[in-house]
Amino acid sequence: MAHGIFYVLDNINAEQHLQLLCQVITAGWREQRSVRVWCADQAQAEQLDQALWQQPVDAFVPHNLVGEGPANGAPVELCWPGAKVTSRRTAMVVNCTDAPSNSQGWNLYVDFVPSAEQARQAARERYKQLRQHGVDLQTIQAADYLAAHS
Amino acid sequence: MPTIKQLFQPDSRLATTVRGFAPRASQTTMAEAVAKALKQRGQLVVEAETGTGKTYAYLVPTLLSDGKAIISTGTKNLQEQLFHRDLPALKAVLAPNKSVALLKGRGNYLCLHRLNQALIASGQHNKTLQSQLVAVRSWSQRTDDGDVGTINILQEDAEVLPQVTSTAENCLGRDCPDFDDCYVVKARKKALEADLVVVNHHLFFADMALKDVGFGELIPAADAVIFDEAHQLPDIASQYFGEAVSSRQVQELAHEMKLLYLATLKDLKQLDKAADKLLTSLRDFRLVFANDPSRGNWRTFRQQAAVQAAALVVEEHLSFFHEVLKSALGRHNDLDNGYERCGQFLHKWQQLQDTSRTGYSFWFETTPRQFTLHQTPLSVADKFGGYLRASNMAWIFTSATLAVNEDFHHFTDQLGLHQPTTLCLPSPFDFQQQALLCLPRYLPQPHERGMAEAILQIVTQVLDANQQGGTFVLFTSHRMLQMIAQQLALVTERPLLVQGSTSKRDLLEQFITQGNGVLLGTSSFWEGVDVRGDALRCVIIDKLPFASPDDPLLQARVEDCQLRGIDAFAQVQLPQAVIALKQGAGRLIRDASDRGVLIVCDQRLVSKPYGGIFLQSLPNMRRSRDLNDAIEFLQQCDTP
Repeated sequence: MAHGIFYVLDNINAEQHLQLLCQVITAGWREQRSVRVWCADQAQAEQLDQALWQQPVDAFVPHNLVGEGPANGAPVELCWPGAKVTSRRTAMVVNCTDAPSNSQGWNLYVDFVPSAEQARQAARERYKQLRQHGVDLQTIQAADYLAAHS
Repeated sequence: MPTIKQLFQPDSRLATTVRGFAPRASQTTMAEAVAKALKQRGQLVVEAETGTGKTYAYLVPTLLSDGKAIISTGTKNLQEQLFHRDLPALKAVLAPNKSVALLKGRGNYLCLHRLNQALIASGQHNKTLQSQLVAVRSWSQRTDDGDVGTINILQEDAEVLPQVTSTAENCLGRDCPDFDDCYVVKARKKALEADLVVVNHHLFFADMALKDVGFGELIPAADAVIFDEAHQLPDIASQYFGEAVSSRQVQELAHEMKLLYLATLKDLKQLDKAADKLLTSLRDFRLVFANDPSRGNWRTFRQQAAVQAAALVVEEHLSFFHEVLKSALGRHNDLDNGYERCGQFLHKWQQLQDTSRTGYSFWFETTPRQFTLHQTPLSVADKFGGYLRASNMAWIFTSATLAVNEDFHHFTDQLGLHQPTTLCLPSPFDFQQQALLCLPRYLPQPHERGMAEAILQIVTQVLDANQQGGTFVLFTSHRMLQMIAQQLALVTERPLLVQGSTSKRDLLEQFITQGNGVLLGTSSFWEGVDVRGDALRCVIIDKLPFASPDDPLLQARVEDCQLRGIDAFAQVQLPQAVIALKQGAGRLIRDASDRGVLIVCDQRLVSKPYGGIFLQSLPNMRRSRDLNDAIEFLQQCDTP
């Protein structure tokens, strides 16, 4: 059964947010082997790209930005709305946008609950939608996760 | 006698008297390991990254230990550097009574017999060659050791050199009238008597594989062998444990016999005719291959009937030539030697036609006019490893690049080493501060069309930023090299040094002199280049240095893996490329004050899972995906 995780970003700064993303993606690549990450925009995708590339070598994550890399994408592909994305299915989807993801066929879905009220409301909507589709959902406090994985 | 530890103290006798000797912790570790291996006659493999000071780490214990040692380096230049620069000062302090010798390959020594022959026939030669001959003759009266490298006025590739030096084939050995004065013999004798001999890998394997007369004496006499630049050994060993026959060798023989007919044996018209026929058959045989120089699988190529027919013609003429020589045996030493050689060529030729034998890779290589047929053993592990085990000697292997992610198996398996002690010594340099590895974003795939344009963009930007420092742009293919060289010349005013325009040595000299030179070369420039400081501040490479899939030696190893059911990519291709990239990265930072940028224009380093293996094996440089970071880094280097 498809599984979803919402990380609650309360009391998390931008740097910790990036660190969380890297950790979630690294673990995802190791377990799921194919990951698509929907970033909010190209700038965020490039920031994430840089962070993944600078991870310690034992946490290497083979990845690409949309528009570079192998025709079918690297095991981890960083996308953003409006980019020319292939229709490839991945075992895991990470959603950093406000909109619900229309990707299909995943085993694991990762999303985030920001602190700002409007964005938080949008995340609640996505959560509800997924629950209606019968996805097994879980919420994790990002701060707890980081504390446990650092 | 002081211990290793005492000698490697900052205030030791060595540190205070030997210039450039600065002991560091990892160096002491290595020196102690070498001393132990020498004492126990063990096998030791040490990866010592740039800056660990590995040369002193093996020289000191070797000079301190009893017995005879051979040190083998990668090239003639390194041999000379070691012998003339590093060794003398150490020896003076540690072992003033030890005798040391430098032994080079046969082609480096004047052959008195061939010099005389060339002088007799000098009317046959062109003007350049004649004047070079005069220079060699006058030098020959002054020289002590007959090392032709000391003839200053001659280029390294001067036309006259092959005429006045000998090869294993044309050497007359004990039958030579000049045997007692022979420089090769003298150098070998000196080497045999010395306590410490410095050789190079080619010479070493020629000795081990008994590829030359008088060989096979040097190694058994030694108690220890130390290989520096040991990462080159598997390839060189394969070469020497294989067999090859080239049209050039056979042609040389034919031409020598024709000269002999013209100069002395004037009644042997038949010799001249037989030589001509042989030469024609060789030319015809060259024509069965494509016009452009190429390499390929000889086993497959030989399936064609036309190829077999042409090979048979060569064999017939070789065989006839052999008969003619036989009929005149005893008339001249050179002719007797020619008969021997012809017999060997005939035997090898026949051997190389029998491509159904397993355990070898059969391949050919052509130049515009010549061809060579090769058989290369799929693995040298049995032969080399077996030799080592039977030897009761100490065997020490060191290089800056042997391990892939701290694992030595790629190296030790290829050479058949048996449970050697291994040691990995990290570089003392601060790569996070000193170097940046940049993989620019949004590059096309290496095989895609837009690649040339993308590389051109990157190179132009880098050149604009790196005005004061040197830049290497290295390519995996000649095609891309030429393309970028042409286009770059249109957009930059800086002078470009392009491989192929002059010799590699000249190019490097110019590059170092210029200080902010721009050198475009193929990835062979990786090896053995030592440019310190700002003269080399940025290296750009177009592709990860995987060996070309049509490289016959690579094919042989891949075949071997397939036969043994092993993943050839992971076991052969990947480690080889990792070590090549590591070599290149090592060129950038040569001492503690060097700074530099490595730009890899190959997506696969970040997008393929094996990218991690490359990164794990490279020095821990700061990494960025943004070309602007690299540009900034270079600009900062300019402002002191």
